[in-house]
Amino acid sequence: MTMMKKFPRSQRFNRLLVVLAAVLTTLPVALAYVDDALSFAYEAANPYAQQGYVIREDAWGGDLGSGEKKAVTAQLFRGNNYIFFLATDVDGASLRVNIYDSAGNLAESKSWQRGRFAYAEIKPKATGTYYAIVEVLSSPEERTGWALVYGFRK
Amino acid sequence: MIRVFFTLLLTAVMAAKATAQPPAKQIDLSQFPADTVDNVVVPVPSEVFAVLDKLGNPNWREQLGAATTYPATANRAKDALLLGTVIADGFIAVEAEDSERVKEIGRNVLTLAEAINVRKSVVARSNSIVEKADAREWNAVRREFDGALQDVNQAMVELNDGQLAQLVSLGGWLRGTEALTSIVQEKYSRERAELLHQPLLIDYFDKQLASMSPRLRRNSLVDEVGKALEQIGPLVKKSSETEIPAETVAEINRITSQIVEMIRAKAG
Repeated sequence: MTMMKKFPRSQRFNRLLVVLAAVLTTLPVALAYVDDALSFAYEAANPYAQQGYVIREDAWGGDLGSGEKKAVTAQLFRGNNYIFFLATDVDGASLRVNIYDSAGNLAESKSWQRGRFAYAEIKPKATGTYYAIVEVLSSPEERTGWALVYGFRK
Repeated sequence: MIRVFFTLLLTAVMAAKATAQPPAKQIDLSQFPADTVDNVVVPVPSEVFAVLDKLGNPNWREQLGAATTYPATANRAKDALLLGTVIADGFIAVEAEDSERVKEIGRNVLTLAEAINVRKSVVARSNSIVEKADAREWNAVRREFDGALQDVNQAMVELNDGQLAQLVSLGGWLRGTEALTSIVQEKYSRERAELLHQPLLIDYFDKQLASMSPRLRRNSLVDEVGKALEQIGPLVKKSSETEIPAETVAEINRITSQIVEMIRAKAG
């Protein structure tokens, strides 16, 4: 049986301070790596602006462990072409993004992965909710910060 | 050195193995709710307008109406909603390729941003909007209006005013939907009406309003916006995505026109 160690109030308070300090010091780091991932995602997307795509300023981001997935919901309109760029700042990490419709069917017309980047393209067959499934396939880090940006063109 | 080599080799092998699998043709989305990213990126009006342009030749100048500058009021919730509608007007002016109106709207954005304490964050955007409108770089202007929305949002979150930022987005969506329904109404087609199939956004805005502070929810204009959404939601959800009837489009136009008029009415 494992015994739960009890601490006197002052010790518990000190521990709380330590935990709070740890959270406050790691939070900016967590936000920073998402920011770095975002910079990489924009770097990958920017050449498409020259092709007439409007790259959105708003984006999604977070962190995942190897083999973990997240679903990102997006409202897409039939008649537009959409491109999604997923990136991380972690060297050696491999990511994937795929687009599914609201019935769970793979809906993208093209996708690829290159180094720290992944890409998916879709010309929606219907207007509505779509799901971008973001996945960290492998990474040398325990948690991998990611950012997903998208652009559209008529 | 050998250990580093083997670690790299192992990582490469694992990556190759992981990337070798093609994506599943079908997934069970019910497995994802707990793993869904909470934030929704609200589409900018030009995403819808781009499709409308493709489906016909809308009269964007008519949608823009007469030039009007909206002054700030003492009601911050109203100013946030108003700012959203003015930014949406900016997107309409871009479609109309009316550089003078774009510049006026860019300046109006600045006035309203000042009223909600985020002027500093949008000065550069406003200047850039004016500059790019002069150069008639329309895609760049679209991106600057989008950027203005994000800058306002971020500045408000930093000021612990994230809920007001949601009202900016909501104001923009309501004005964009008013313009969309007005154009679809003029020349109805199923293809055009399908653009209103936005259940995700309606649910998102509903949740945002429901989670607002009691003080904000007591604001009479925010209450009216909530009522408008309550009316629009079922209209969109009961229609199939490929069949949003003309009467539904007309009804959504009536609701959004009314609420945009209330947002823009002078504080009395």
